[in-house]
Amino acid sequence: MIENVSSANLISLLIEYEQITREEIRTSTEPSEMIKLKVLGSKSKLSELTRALSKLPKEDRSRVGLVVNQVKTSIESELSKKNTEPVQSRNTFDPTMPGIRPPVGHLHIVSQAIMEITRIFERIGFIRVRHPEVDWDWYAFESLNMPLHHPARDEWETFFIKSQVPNSKSQKNTKHAKFDKMVLTPHTSNGQVREMEKRKLPIRMINIAKCYRRQIDVSHTPMFHQFEGLYVDKNVSIAHLKGVMDFFFTHFYGPGRISRIRPFHFQFTEPSFEIDVSCGACAGGGCRLCKDGWLELGGAGMVHPNVLKAGGIDPEIYSGFAFGWGIERTYMMKSGTSLDDVRLLYSNDVRFLEQF
Amino acid sequence: MWLREFLKTDAKPSDIARCLSLCGPSIERVHGKGNTTVYDIEITGNRPDAMSVSGIARESVAILPRFGFKAQFINDPYILKPIFPNIPDTLPLFLKTDPTLNPRWTSVVFDGVKVGPSDKKIQKYLELSGLRTISNVVDITNYLMHAYGQPAHVFDYDKISGHTMTLRASKKGEILTTLDGKKHTLPGGDIVIEDKTGTLIDLCGIMGGENSSVTNNSKRVILFLQTYNPVSIRRTSMALAQRTEAATLFEKGLDTELVLPVFSIGMRMMGSAAGGRVAGPVTDIYPERKKTRTVVVSKNKILAYIGPIKDTDITTPLESLGFTVRMREERVEVRVPSWRDDVAIDVDIIEEIARIYGYHTIQSALPASAPPNTPIDPMLMWEENIKIRLRDWGYTELLTYSMIAQNEGSAYKILNPLSSDWVYMRTSLKQSVLPVVHENLKNTKDLKVFELSHVYVHKHNDLPKETLHLIVVWSGNRFLEAKGLAEALFDLFGIKYNLPDFGTLEVSSDITVLYLDFAKMVELAQPRKAYTPIPKYPPAIEDLSFEVTGDFRIGPLMDTVKTLHPLIYRVTFLDAYQNFRTIRIEYLDTTKNLSDDVIRKVRQKILDAVREKFSVTLKNV
Repeated sequence: MIENVSSANLISLLIEYEQITREEIRTSTEPSEMIKLKVLGSKSKLSELTRALSKLPKEDRSRVGLVVNQVKTSIESELSKKNTEPVQSRNTFDPTMPGIRPPVGHLHIVSQAIMEITRIFERIGFIRVRHPEVDWDWYAFESLNMPLHHPARDEWETFFIKSQVPNSKSQKNTKHAKFDKMVLTPHTSNGQVREMEKRKLPIRMINIAKCYRRQIDVSHTPMFHQFEGLYVDKNVSIAHLKGVMDFFFTHFYGPGRISRIRPFHFQFTEPSFEIDVSCGACAGGGCRLCKDGWLELGGAGMVHPNVLKAGGIDPEIYSGFAFGWGIERTYMMKSGTSLDDVRLLYSNDVRFLEQF
Repeated sequence: MWLREFLKTDAKPSDIARCLSLCGPSIERVHGKGNTTVYDIEITGNRPDAMSVSGIARESVAILPRFGFKAQFINDPYILKPIFPNIPDTLPLFLKTDPTLNPRWTSVVFDGVKVGPSDKKIQKYLELSGLRTISNVVDITNYLMHAYGQPAHVFDYDKISGHTMTLRASKKGEILTTLDGKKHTLPGGDIVIEDKTGTLIDLCGIMGGENSSVTNNSKRVILFLQTYNPVSIRRTSMALAQRTEAATLFEKGLDTELVLPVFSIGMRMMGSAAGGRVAGPVTDIYPERKKTRTVVVSKNKILAYIGPIKDTDITTPLESLGFTVRMREERVEVRVPSWRDDVAIDVDIIEEIARIYGYHTIQSALPASAPPNTPIDPMLMWEENIKIRLRDWGYTELLTYSMIAQNEGSAYKILNPLSSDWVYMRTSLKQSVLPVVHENLKNTKDLKVFELSHVYVHKHNDLPKETLHLIVVWSGNRFLEAKGLAEALFDLFGIKYNLPDFGTLEVSSDITVLYLDFAKMVELAQPRKAYTPIPKYPPAIEDLSFEVTGDFRIGPLMDTVKTLHPLIYRVTFLDAYQNFRTIRIEYLDTTKNLSDDVIRKVRQKILDAVREKFSVTLKNV
């Protein structure tokens, strides 16, 4: 209730009200109708101020009345301006929305394994090379101490390629006689003599390439990958083979994983070994994944003198070791039981590939 | 157990399995209990001497003591030096053989044979070893083969016409029916025996003939043990697909010195098990006695391979295996026993020492010599580089088989394919990848995939050129994305953008395919970036909007403007909206600030050129 107020005071109250109200309208988030009721309605301060007009001296009433009208018009125009403004997009921010991710693609598991294996061997000076997949029978077998018709060739179910060379009988005694039968190499060992032919000693090579065998089942695909290590130097020892194996296992499978070698036989190595890696799941006690605490990985051996000779290296001066293992198998053993069928790797279903 | 007839030891079956697998033949499985333990053993192809019970016993005798067990070899056949009394020839046998095919022939005739079942022990041994028991006489041959690794055979004397046996090479086309009832047409050069009428009665080393076989009625039996030329046996066995246990033994080359001892054991068994009485002299045709082989190994080489080991650690393992060792200053002379034809050179001896000494005792050590100085193969480096880029740009890598069903462009052909889907080596990645993509489209709507892999390009009379190609496939029409990727790749290689020279970009009904000869890009790569100084004066930038008609191509216009004037520093594409195209021009003078006047002159040049060449003018504001 406004008592005894002078005209001058009333005018300044009205002007003050106008400024405050206009500001309030501008910043308000309430619906316009509500604001209108609040600032112009019968219960508003403006109404109260208007009623105070009657308390003023008669001659002032019309003058102050004009100010009241001005204030009312000003407030109404501010209100109508608010109505025509588009609905403000809320400047509020919701941090719980999912973020905008950068693009993420996927490399094939085999590529990932190849990169990892390459990195590990690079650290001990074994450089990656790639020897042919389609090769002469000579490099795949004969140079590896397996002459034609040797029963050891049965070990590999080899794919043969239709001869490209015309009847080789006439070339029997020329250098090219050894280059007439073509195969899809069943192992990366065809790279051994090829590497030796580069005539650079010592040799520390990792040959990673596609191999092919005429077999398909839960653990075999007709095309697969192998990595072949070859170390040729003076005084190479079985101890060096073990050392390199242990190094690889520690870095590929994890600390504490070690190698074990057992006797075996390959035509192109002597002594020959089978390599086991200690089981990560049971730490030696034996479990359903392993055989008495060990997992069979692949073959290895000291390079046979006949292979060195085939590569033009004198076995009296140099010796070496070699190993060759399947990339898919070596990798699948790393991830434990989650991958149990190697054919999955070549299904090329993106729903599978995108999991890695 | 059968093994215990040759091996006296305190080791338990599990110990035997463990120790042998570490130093010798791999024991895959041990089953059974108590007296009936059965070992499943994998023996490598170079060790026919170990493919028998006595062979395993011999290995055990060398290996078990290394692990603290006592082990003694009993009933060693090689100790036997049989001498046969001269029995008069009541049942004559006329024999002729060819030593090049048959290095040793032993045989003798028995009379009064009673064919019946074998005794319980023999039956049990054979059955546990996975062999069929047939009759006492036949079981003896299987027993000898499994116990000693020396196959044996028996013939019915009365079925052999003229009691004449002539061993020779077969002629192509000759017919023979083996014991299993299979009729074979021989390829020629196979080792066979014919009787007086020329009928074939034995496929030597593989399987006996049906017509000369011992039956329940046989009364007079010939016991017959040989060795054969391994190459012939293998050839015949593979050609006829007759992979009998005898064949797999003979093709590895058996010890001729083993024949007579085992033969004498067989003779004894014929007498005791079948009541046979010797009815003639023992025939032993062995014209070329086996010579003893000595192998010399340098001590330095042994130490290089195995590490520092004592002389006794060289001698003991070898002697326990039956080798005779003479130790010298710098070298070791080793006399190889007759049953170890697989030991021929120094490294073979080193293997025998090392495995018995124990691979587990050799410490591991990394190679200490300097690593070789080899440059990295650029093809491999780029392959890895680009794969990682594509992955990080959101693409998923496929890895398909190199083999395809159809021949396109003189592809190399597989002679013995596994499936009709995989017969040719691909000459284009499209052949392998597009079918896979369409399979995936059934389940995934949005695809961004690639493969960077070999194709096999034909070379005349030579191996293919294994060439890396790159294929990138998107679902739907993603032309500009594909073009953008191609442009980015060319940039990485430092090659001026020229898609037709390196590949193709095709849009079809449901996919977009970018295809590049990756190897060619690697060969022409010039990725080195040179530093250009940052301009001291800022460029003046303005946007020009042109009004165009219909299917206007903005590329050539931009190319024209780019090279129009030296002060034009950069032209970039901004916007295409209805029939307006907006480009941004950056004018730059590296030596001074540009005045409006100068810019105006250059801009006029641009507008004139654009109007003249492309009939296009600025948009009316």
